[in-house]
Amino acid sequence: MDSLIQNFFNLEIYAQVFPYLLGGLWTTVWLSALVIPLGAAAGLALALGLTQSGSRPLRWAIVAFIDFFRAFPPLVLLILVYFGGPFLGLELNKVAAVALAFVLNNSSYYAEVFRAGLQGVAKGQMEAARSTGLTRAQALRHVVVPQAIRNVLPDLVGNAIEIVKLTSIASVVAMPELLRAARDAQSLVFNPSPVMLAAFMYLALLWPLTRWLGRLEHRRARR
Amino acid sequence: MTAGDSGFLFTFFNPAVAKQYAPDIAAGMLVTVGVGLAVVVTGTLLGLALAVARALGRRALAWPIVAFADIMRSLPPLVVLIVLYFGLPSLGLPLSAFAVTWLSLTLVLAAYAEESIWAGIRAVPDGQLEAARSTGMRWWQAMRWVVLPQALSRAVPPLTNRIISITKNTALGSVVALNEILNNAQGASSHAGNPTPLMMAAFAYLVVFLPLVVFSRWLEQHWQRR
Amino acid sequence: MPILDISGLRKSYGATEVLRGVDLQVRAGELVCVIGPSGSGKSTMLCCCNLLETPTGGTIFANGHEVTSPLVNINRLRQEVGMVFQQFNLYPHLSALDNVALALRQVQRRSRDEAASLARAALEQVGLGGKAGSYPSELSGGQQQRVGIARAVALKPQVILFDEPTSALDPELVEDVLNVMRDLRTRGMTMLVVTHEMAFAHAAADRVVFMDGGVVVEQGTPAEVFENPREARTRSFLARYGSRLS
Repeated sequence: MDSLIQNFFNLEIYAQVFPYLLGGLWTTVWLSALVIPLGAAAGLALALGLTQSGSRPLRWAIVAFIDFFRAFPPLVLLILVYFGGPFLGLELNKVAAVALAFVLNNSSYYAEVFRAGLQGVAKGQMEAARSTGLTRAQALRHVVVPQAIRNVLPDLVGNAIEIVKLTSIASVVAMPELLRAARDAQSLVFNPSPVMLAAFMYLALLWPLTRWLGRLEHRRARR
Repeated sequence: MTAGDSGFLFTFFNPAVAKQYAPDIAAGMLVTVGVGLAVVVTGTLLGLALAVARALGRRALAWPIVAFADIMRSLPPLVVLIVLYFGLPSLGLPLSAFAVTWLSLTLVLAAYAEESIWAGIRAVPDGQLEAARSTGMRWWQAMRWVVLPQALSRAVPPLTNRIISITKNTALGSVVALNEILNNAQGASSHAGNPTPLMMAAFAYLVVFLPLVVFSRWLEQHWQRR
Repeated sequence: MPILDISGLRKSYGATEVLRGVDLQVRAGELVCVIGPSGSGKSTMLCCCNLLETPTGGTIFANGHEVTSPLVNINRLRQEVGMVFQQFNLYPHLSALDNVALALRQVQRRSRDEAASLARAALEQVGLGGKAGSYPSELSGGQQQRVGIARAVALKPQVILFDEPTSALDPELVEDVLNVMRDLRTRGMTMLVVTHEMAFAHAAADRVVFMDGGVVVEQGTPAEVFENPREARTRSFLARYGSRLS
């Protein structure tokens, strides 16, 4: 029991490494802030292409893209983009490689969420909007898409939380986010406590968001 | 074809390297599928058990379950894996890489499964349980024959998506040296000084998971009819 | 020249022919009511007039422009031919004012202030000036439908198409909507109304049109159609629903 505390809940080591982990936390936060809007925008574009296009080949291509990146483990994708990129002549810096892999992976999940949202808006809404002379694009922008987002807001938030957790994978390619910082600290102090501290920091960041998400889902179920 | 083109193919799709390391990749696939299946079975069953326990309505039981679900859904799976990997030996439980990977992903899947199934149980009208009990059924029977079938039916679409995304995390096992696809491919790549095994790994993952994704899409469209 | 000129209109869905050659004219300032059994094609005909459905044959002219021409400017057309829906189809995420103002801003490119004041005027015209800030979920069915009418009226169309405007309303709310429609008529709006409200058609319409099986069976003044129907089909339809006249 005592060794457990020594090894995992070592307050001295916590104090020692906390500033270092804080830097890692910052990286986690800005990396998420970079990837979430990009993934959401790409996902919305894919979903719009999927639900609005009359072209069958385009729809098939979009579905293929979505299913491909849903089937592909993000860690493998990251490694391929990171290590394989230079072979293709793609000189990506670390952040760009990580961001590219994450956006490719996550846009497919966002596309599915937006697709469900768009298909859930009543057909009469588009008809009414068009009957007043709005073009398709205007009707989508002012009437359909806002309602689609409202309907699937909990899923959008849930996906955003997943992205924050996903950033921990970047530790494998030595991106200095929270988990990497903890692992580096661990090898410096020869003690796994930093990893435990990082776990607590993830909880502090994400638990409130998860609770908020639960409330959003509850509100939606009652509507 | 310029020398550059054949260089690309030679680098990423080198037949000689592929042939040499195909057995390693195949062995990795067995491990990936093995861990995946084990996680799906135990994770779903554990989630189901937790949801039913929560349905009993006892505060003392419900509170730890909710806390467990919240924590496991708020932590990145890789963090769970690493904490268990370093932590369990301290508790006198040195588990193999396979077991640690299986355990972490089971706990994570159980948390999501519990939430999905619980939401399904909540969505079943109270009248269902009342009606069943009024015919003399005991609580367990009413759950088993009336409430759970309806709850599970609702939970299937979100659950299949979750199962797929969590079992893809078997790739994380490579971080703790589990000999699944990615790990074997990385070893082979550095051995051969050639990234072809990584492309093989990508292909192997697609072979394993793409059918699941297509199946879940089909399921989502056809499940409503039931 | 009639505001709306429908000639030989046909519409098929695959093998099913819903409209089998409809001829109908609506002159300026007229209120024309279309009655008939369900499945007679009344709503489909209406939806062809603003191209929410595409005709498979025949011609439609609205305000002199050929609706059925391949070169038609759909969005211009819909500013001249307004529509009110059975299910209201109000935008739930926008207030009543914004529901009415949206097309004024985006289609007619008016400034925010101009659109708001025009929208407010339209809402006052239907008796809902005080509800401009309310959202559809806060309004009764009758109020929602009146907002729907304001939304169509605000664009100052040449003719408004009404697709069973009161069918989805509780009986006590129907009269409010019919009053707005009567008021529109006195202001000179041209209106083509598909309806089951026989008393309204009898009292307010300039002409009544009876449709059945995808064609116009007979038409005339309310007195002609309701009291002296010429066709047997008209008679048997009215026999079933004639009690609604009182």
